[in-house]
Amino acid sequence: MKTRIFNILLLSVIFFSGCRDVLDLRPLDKLDGETLFATPEGVRVYLANLYGQLPIEDFSFGRLGFNTANQNTGGIAPATQTDDAANSEFSHLLDGGGNYQWWDPGYKLIRDINLLLETIPTVSSLSDADKATLLSEGHFLRAFTYFALVKRYGGVPLITSVQQYTPDVESLKVPRSTEKDTWDFVLAECDAAIESLPASRTEDNRRATKWVAYALKSRAALHAASLAKYWSKAPLSGPAVSQGLVGLESSLANHYYEICIEASRKIMDEGGFSLHKPTPASPEEATANYMELFQNPNGATGEVIFIKGYTNPGSSGHSYDFWFNPNQTSDGAPHPGRMNPTLDFVDLYESYSNPGHSTPIVTTTDGNVTDYNGFNANKTYLRFDTPYDIFKDKDARLWATVVLPGTEWKGKTIVIQGGYIQPDGTPKIETKDQITVNGATYYTYGAADWTNYSGFEVYLGNMTRTGFSFKKFLSPNPVPPNLTYSTTDWIEFRYAEILLNYAEAVVESNYTANGAQAAAKDAINAIRRRAGHTVAIELNLENVLRERRVELAFENKRYWDLVRRRDYHEKFNNTIRKALVPVLDLRVSPAKYIFIRKNLSRENPLTFPTNFYYVSIPGIGANGLVQNPQY
Amino acid sequence: MLAAIAKGGKNTGSMRHLKTNYVRMKRLLAIVAWAVLASACELDNYDAPNAQLSGNIIDAETNELVQQDIIRGTTIKLIEHGYDPVQPQYLRVKNDGTYANTLLFANTYTIQPELRNFVQVEEQEIQIGSDTKLDFRVQPYIRVKEASIVKEGTKIVATFKLQQTVPEVVSRIGLYADAEPIVGEPIRDVAAEVQLGRTVDEDETFTLVIDAADNRAVLKSGNQYFFRVGALINVPEAKFNYAPAVAITVD
Repeated sequence: MKTRIFNILLLSVIFFSGCRDVLDLRPLDKLDGETLFATPEGVRVYLANLYGQLPIEDFSFGRLGFNTANQNTGGIAPATQTDDAANSEFSHLLDGGGNYQWWDPGYKLIRDINLLLETIPTVSSLSDADKATLLSEGHFLRAFTYFALVKRYGGVPLITSVQQYTPDVESLKVPRSTEKDTWDFVLAECDAAIESLPASRTEDNRRATKWVAYALKSRAALHAASLAKYWSKAPLSGPAVSQGLVGLESSLANHYYEICIEASRKIMDEGGFSLHKPTPASPEEATANYMELFQNPNGATGEVIFIKGYTNPGSSGHSYDFWFNPNQTSDGAPHPGRMNPTLDFVDLYESYSNPGHSTPIVTTTDGNVTDYNGFNANKTYLRFDTPYDIFKDKDARLWATVVLPGTEWKGKTIVIQGGYIQPDGTPKIETKDQITVNGATYYTYGAADWTNYSGFEVYLGNMTRTGFSFKKFLSPNPVPPNLTYSTTDWIEFRYAEILLNYAEAVVESNYTANGAQAAAKDAINAIRRRAGHTVAIELNLENVLRERRVELAFENKRYWDLVRRRDYHEKFNNTIRKALVPVLDLRVSPAKYIFIRKNLSRENPLTFPTNFYYVSIPGIGANGLVQNPQY
Repeated sequence: MLAAIAKGGKNTGSMRHLKTNYVRMKRLLAIVAWAVLASACELDNYDAPNAQLSGNIIDAETNELVQQDIIRGTTIKLIEHGYDPVQPQYLRVKNDGTYANTLLFANTYTIQPELRNFVQVEEQEIQIGSDTKLDFRVQPYIRVKEASIVKEGTKIVATFKLQQTVPEVVSRIGLYADAEPIVGEPIRDVAAEVQLGRTVDEDETFTLVIDAADNRAVLKSGNQYFFRVGALINVPEAKFNYAPAVAITVD
């Protein structure tokens, strides 16, 4: 009997305690907000995840998405989908449904950010000041995320709180806001970020500051303003347009330009930033300074506003050195030489003797720079002693961005030669051959063995087909020949971009308050002075846009510049990009170099259809959203 | 998985009951596989498309076909009834202004041109069945009149007049050359274009010239190429209007 009572008691203890507690235990593999945000380490863990997801169009961004450095991208960088460069193997401009889809990851990130914004106010251990700072950081992250969405899709659903699961799916569907409301939301989020972010950070200095938020505001406002101004160059139609989900009224252009001007000017007047090594003594020094800025951004604290770092080679590095070294300095990587700056791009640079004008490479005595039909025996070609003399006097940044034929890179002379003209006048161009003249053997590609040249042969797609290779951002040191071994850091915002945003907004809106015209002129000339130019040029749209393109080349701005200014469909309409082929002229002794401007080999004519100005919205059957035009 | 079982069976072949199990299992697997395959056949056994739609895009005033582009040109939107949500289908049209889709399912559809080089026409419901015909009688934005494309030495000279039927400006005119007869603004190796940006008078004569000598990389002496003139109205998403292409052997 005693035992039975004991057993009943025991069972009661087990069952009743079970009812009370067992199911209320805190899961051991999860943390709640109160615990996570109670320590600075917990805050950093959560934020590191958000920054990791942030749509920063860096070295690891491309057709396959963000953070794809560990994937086989074929070395198709965003620049090769523009007129700045071609991929050595793929003639690739567009993907179906619009380039750079980023829908699901975007809304996942927004949910994570909204969780942060809703949790922070409830954490009792944080001071009010800390809460305000963290909330502002959350608004910055949300602004950055919605900016990435609006520039792709136009107006999108604005989700500003964490949606709770309910069986009533219809209540979770949020319709698209207008494109105008979405841009205004991005700019308002920038303001909320500016409000309480610190002006600088002593630790964690790669997290957002007030100036990073101003820089984002400057960039976003310029994008919106350009869209409003140039929408009519490629108007679209359909329900998305008539409901205002895509498109901005042209009357809004100056409104957004002014927002860009104010945000940029704030950074210029109060941010304490400056150009890195602004007054070089010579173009050579300017070249070295400009390369240094990108090889180690951490050494340029005056210019750099926001950095994304790469730390672990082999896991979280990027793959620029793997894909983009010229063939001769691949360090054993199997597919180098993929980034081929075009002649169109090289032509753009000023020369020091002709300030304020693009100076196309002149190759013939008639000075014709629009003939791309290939070698013509009836023309008189200018002859040069070296394969690079023809570029002498060109802007220092050309020499820092591009590996020019016959120049040194990583301790080797980079051989880029497309052929020769035999003593009898027969051209052998872009074909493998050799000839012996007066006891000396000459090779069409400049050397006997493929490991000793970097141009024009169709070998594994590893040789440049434009006549130029690429070196901006590349490490001057050996890098293991595998994906994700590059650790050069990425500059997402730098002072030069802010100056260029400012100058463009001032010119486009003809803004005059606060001495804007003079300040904008100073801005572009300061950037030119840093590049070794000593003669100031006028403030006009052509000068500003040229300066922007050469200064920010390969920083993944060109794609969006073509989009926001609605230039893409005009630049790419059955367009074949151009090459400059260095050819050894054996008709003279000693042999000299001549250069042939021609259409790029193995290139399809490329066209940008106007509906690609907006990316298609995925899953409209389920989410019920209005699709963008022509999808 | 099958291989693993077979291997297990062989290794234990001397043990009679296991062998029996193995045989049973094999039989069972065969039955399952047969059932899956057989039922799959039934599920997949939809009827093939059994309806066709074809027709012409005709200038309502002149009764001529309206010249088109085969890529990035006029499209016709088809919405099949009885599905929600429904993904619209888009038909492309041929250069000469005819179109056809021979792989449709018999049903009622809503049909309307979408992108186009003529003034929009009302959407209409149509019962599509075996060899259904539907012509669109339209008002082209621009009529390219009196087009003449002739060879003068190495030059190809095109002259033409334009009659615009809407008040918007003519944004661009062009002469296009390609090795294929489907030549047009989107498909061309060489173009001579003028950004017009104004309205035109129908008596005005336009002249455009392509000199083959300046384009030897693509226009080789002695080869035949196709040439076509066109004009674009400044209406959102408008497509080019053309005269028919002309074949010329260049010198």
